[in-house]
Amino acid sequence: MFRGRAIGWSALTIALLGFPLVFTGAYYEQLAALVILSAIAASAWNLIGGYAGQVSVGHAVFFGAGAYMPLLFYKLWGVSPILGFPAGIAVGVIIAVGIGVPTFRLSGHYFSMATIAVAELIRILVGNWDFLGASIGLMGPPTARGWWDLVFRSSVPYYYIFLSVLAILLAITRWMERSRFGYYLRAIRANERAARSLGVPVSRYKLLALMVSAGFTSLAGSLYAAKFGFVDPNSGLAILVSVNMVIMAALGGAGRLLGPLLGATILVPLQTTMNSIFGGGGTGLTYVFYGGIILLIARFEPGGLIQMSERIRARVRARAAGAEADAGGAHAA
Amino acid sequence: MILLQVIVGGLLIGAVYALFSSGLTLVWGMMNVINFAHGEFVMLGMYVAFWAFTLVGAGPLSFTALAAILLFILGIVVYMALIRHVIRGPMLAQILATFGLLLLLRYAAFWAFSANFVTLPEGLVGPGFNLGGILLSAPKLLAGIVALALTIGMHVLLTRTAVGSQILAVAEDRDAAMLMGIRPDRMQAIAWGLAGASAGIAGALIATFFPISPTVGESLALIAFVVVTLGGFGSVPGAMIAGLVIGLIESLSAYYFGPVYQDVFVYGLFVVVLWVRPHGLMGKA
Amino acid sequence: MLLEANDITMAFDGFLAVSGATFEVAEGEIVGLIGPNGAGKSTFFNCLAGDLTPTAGRVTFDTVDVTRATPEMHARSGIARTFQVPATFADLTVLENVMVGAFLRHSNAAIARRAARQVLALTGLADKAERRAGNLGTPGRKRLELARAMATEPRLILLDEALAGLNPAEIQRAIELVRAIHRTGVTLVIVEHIMDVILTLANRVVVFNQGHVIAQGAPRDVVNDPVVIDAYLGHSHARRSREGGIV
Repeated sequence: MFRGRAIGWSALTIALLGFPLVFTGAYYEQLAALVILSAIAASAWNLIGGYAGQVSVGHAVFFGAGAYMPLLFYKLWGVSPILGFPAGIAVGVIIAVGIGVPTFRLSGHYFSMATIAVAELIRILVGNWDFLGASIGLMGPPTARGWWDLVFRSSVPYYYIFLSVLAILLAITRWMERSRFGYYLRAIRANERAARSLGVPVSRYKLLALMVSAGFTSLAGSLYAAKFGFVDPNSGLAILVSVNMVIMAALGGAGRLLGPLLGATILVPLQTTMNSIFGGGGTGLTYVFYGGIILLIARFEPGGLIQMSERIRARVRARAAGAEADAGGAHAA
Repeated sequence: MILLQVIVGGLLIGAVYALFSSGLTLVWGMMNVINFAHGEFVMLGMYVAFWAFTLVGAGPLSFTALAAILLFILGIVVYMALIRHVIRGPMLAQILATFGLLLLLRYAAFWAFSANFVTLPEGLVGPGFNLGGILLSAPKLLAGIVALALTIGMHVLLTRTAVGSQILAVAEDRDAAMLMGIRPDRMQAIAWGLAGASAGIAGALIATFFPISPTVGESLALIAFVVVTLGGFGSVPGAMIAGLVIGLIESLSAYYFGPVYQDVFVYGLFVVVLWVRPHGLMGKA
Repeated sequence: MLLEANDITMAFDGFLAVSGATFEVAEGEIVGLIGPNGAGKSTFFNCLAGDLTPTAGRVTFDTVDVTRATPEMHARSGIARTFQVPATFADLTVLENVMVGAFLRHSNAAIARRAARQVLALTGLADKAERRAGNLGTPGRKRLELARAMATEPRLILLDEALAGLNPAEIQRAIELVRAIHRTGVTLVIVEHIMDVILTLANRVVVFNQGHVIAQGAPRDVVNDPVVIDAYLGHSHARRSREGGIV
């Protein structure tokens, strides 16, 4: 069984590393970069929404914080956007604390409502604040003054940068899964009251998970700003940004390490294709479709595709064992 | 004088907020489910009003009643097909369920009706009039009064009728209610129907004076969240008071700081309430 | 005294569920807490467990005031509790469930796992370690409740109707398990409706009615106490008992 696992991981790593070398051309390279970037955001969401079971539907606020700060730094001081990355993370974490502290001592719904309210609040404020570009937004360096501006012609460098960040995030998630932190988060998701009675400091752990999640989501936002060189309230803070993160994680498997990556791999190409088929009017249809998918996941398989495949495999195995037993029984008789 | 007008206007719209929020808080109190798609129910009520008028020339009374009926049915359908199955599951499934519904309804409306907003003609309900120096718009006045009456009616329905007490019994203690021969499933479905109907009526009323578009649900849902949080989990009287307060605050902040920031004030208040008194004015803790 | 509750009052909106309840448990005892339905036992129990903060009164654990302590603090101090309806972490395995308890005392996962396995052995769940907890039947879940509580290495466990819903054979096994746990040095407070269990296990019984303690003593004595019978069955039975002796 171990060997199978190792083979699986090696195959995945090779596939991810080698993808742009095999599928060349601007279209595939851009798509791949977008998949990995979305996977970062969705994996970050997964920490609080999947593992800890605290469903945020306003994660765009962290993404936006991460996207705006680097471009703001560039606008104010002409420096490399990279210098703004830590600021984006800091702002994201501060907002996370502002949301988490009052709501985590209450039941889960308050947290979810608060995330949507704060995300909207900040979107409106930013959209009306000239300092941050109001509805027009902010732009980054138009041409590269050096590698540190992170302005590349091809998507390939971005792809590998994003891949490194994703690898780090997943490694951290993996470590967390096996540590006390991970067990406590899953206990909180399963039954908060029982977790408390076993000494789990519920509010504190929820907050920690949210802070880490917010930090990485902000980082994803910063990477987005670096690649696209532009952000506005719509691309950085809108509800659809939050929706994307949630649906990718949920479709692949919330609370599973590779769920978000799986979801991103399916949905990003799908969304791109739907956009090109239906054009601008397709936006409505795409989200009707997304709504439908989310409904189906919620109703039939909240654990997403990974859980569904596990269930099917278990059933197949049980049936095989049953068949074997029948065959064996026939012999014995 | 203007200030008085602003106050009255705020209370009137607040009554409408109270109406659609009372449905949301009833469902929340009963089943511990927050309907993220509640704003979309109101939006659909608005469109029912618009299309009933545009297609068959229905008047306010007719299209409001129609909205009530259609959204009542939608509420029950949503409960039976979706909510009923996710209540007993993980929180993720519950939140995803109504969130998915939000997307489905909002973007279906987007696709069907386009992003442009439409309006009902101005003089539909009647001309504005002057009451002792205060300019009142007839649609707003009608909306406010009807909403207030219906919210009170909902409260009376819940507390003084047989059906109402059965609903409250299920909300209080599902198992005990079952032992008394009440069917919780049926009561919960009815509660969803009531929530839908109150949202639909509110939407139809709002449609008489407010532009209709697929995205109105977004800000209306958030107002509903603020109202139910401020009013207290599960409390219809709480929602009534909170609705009026929110309407007032919104109106006053629009007057002093401009309409752009009125949302900011409402959401800001929400955050403050969460920090200070999350169980609201009258919620059961 | 390991646990002391002094003059506990719990009021809900003017309704007194518990009023003036005083109760103490010495280390090493198994104390049964009984009383008719609606007597306030569960409310009192939750006050002891930290789920509720009493309106008045004091709860002391090993001379430390825990009246206002949260459930987390209770666990840390050494008070564990089980839930009447097992609050199993359904999606985790049996071993993982117990590990959550063990993590309270051991922050390292490997050590917590080892400690959890020991508890599984003690509670007879070792063969089910990798099973998904949600797939266990009721007896298994109740056993798991206890195992999880034990993993927090408590000095006192509050058992909330741990044996309800079990058939006679299962009850026997459960009684054995409770005894085994007691032998490791854990003090127990057992809320129970099943008289046989109380009579078998408890070395002292406390009777609750109408929000406070109405009788306490050795199990046999309490069961025959007219005051207690009156509380459960009404005046006529009490009279009959006074006249006829053992009911």
